[in-house]
Amino acid sequence: MASCDELYEEAVSTHGPALDRLARAYEADPELRRDLLQEIHLALWRSLDSFQSRCSLRTWIYRVAHNVGASHIVVNRRQSAHELVSIDDIEATEDRSSVANIADRRIALERVMVLIRELKPLDRQVILLYLEGVDAAGIAEVTGISSSNVATKIHRLKNILTRRFQAGGQS
Amino acid sequence: MINKSSSADIQGLWQSQPTQPPNISPEDFHRKMQKFEHKIFRRNIREYASGIFVVVASVFCAWKLPAPLFRAGLGLTIAGALYVMFQLHRRASVRPAPGDLGLRTCIEFHRQTLERQRDALRGVGSWYLLPLFPGLLVIMIGTAINQWTAHPGHLGHLVMGYGILAGIVGAVLFAVWKLNQRGADGLQVQIDEMNALRGDP
Repeated sequence: MASCDELYEEAVSTHGPALDRLARAYEADPELRRDLLQEIHLALWRSLDSFQSRCSLRTWIYRVAHNVGASHIVVNRRQSAHELVSIDDIEATEDRSSVANIADRRIALERVMVLIRELKPLDRQVILLYLEGVDAAGIAEVTGISSSNVATKIHRLKNILTRRFQAGGQS
Repeated sequence: MINKSSSADIQGLWQSQPTQPPNISPEDFHRKMQKFEHKIFRRNIREYASGIFVVVASVFCAWKLPAPLFRAGLGLTIAGALYVMFQLHRRASVRPAPGDLGLRTCIEFHRQTLERQRDALRGVGSWYLLPLFPGLLVIMIGTAINQWTAHPGHLGHLVMGYGILAGIVGAVLFAVWKLNQRGADGLQVQIDEMNALRGDP
């Protein structure tokens, strides 16, 4: 069986960039984001000691990372009193804000990032896993919600994301 | 209608963001711990300075004002302040982490430090506020009796004035207690996060 250090190296080599993107989705401030990313890596490194292959390494990594991210939101919300919303709320109000015509993919990405940071932890977890290319079954395994619930959320997310993406412009 | 290519575009756009390689080492964690230790150290310095100020001011007042009850109150205040400083040192002083700890030991040390500081903040009512209370009470009674002796006809005003003063002092003590409980809650969030990672995430 691989040691904790070997597992950590494997985790970083396969999912390091995804963890970096995840940290961006949870924290906009670059300084705080660097701290958050370190927290995630520390948590991951520490957790791998108790990883016993009861789930895939990918599932384990995402669970740990999202736990740390969710805790970060809890602490941050106390400071900012920023209200988080669900996918349903976003979908209901989306059309009002998707009228801009911005021909820039970077801006489109920024709009997606803003959307993600508005979401409640569970919905944020689903959208991030979807963006990382994890399938519905994989998302269900990581989040612990049913596959049908995941499928519904993804369908709504695709609607919202596509509208924002198109509003942000495709080059 | 959403087509597959636009979904793939969004995912591609997301995944094409430039990323930075992770950088984590025992030194990083040491830095993080030191940051926390400095914060605690600065807080303790402020508390010790306040305690010393209370003791010096109380000695000065006791020297200038001869009323026995007032002096007794100041004596209790001095004893309370010294007790608080001793408890601050015992419960919440900084214990710097040895520089040569490995990452795992470093994390465990940090968790214990957080727990110690959390417990200190949780118990602030008994070791920080309560010891100062008798002194404050006796000083207030002492000054009230002095004023009543000087102006015996104004008992109603005196009672009302000291009632308001007692209310303000009570509100300040409650606010201090509440702030410390909030601080303890913040530390608990960090501890829970570290504990959760011991088992299944």
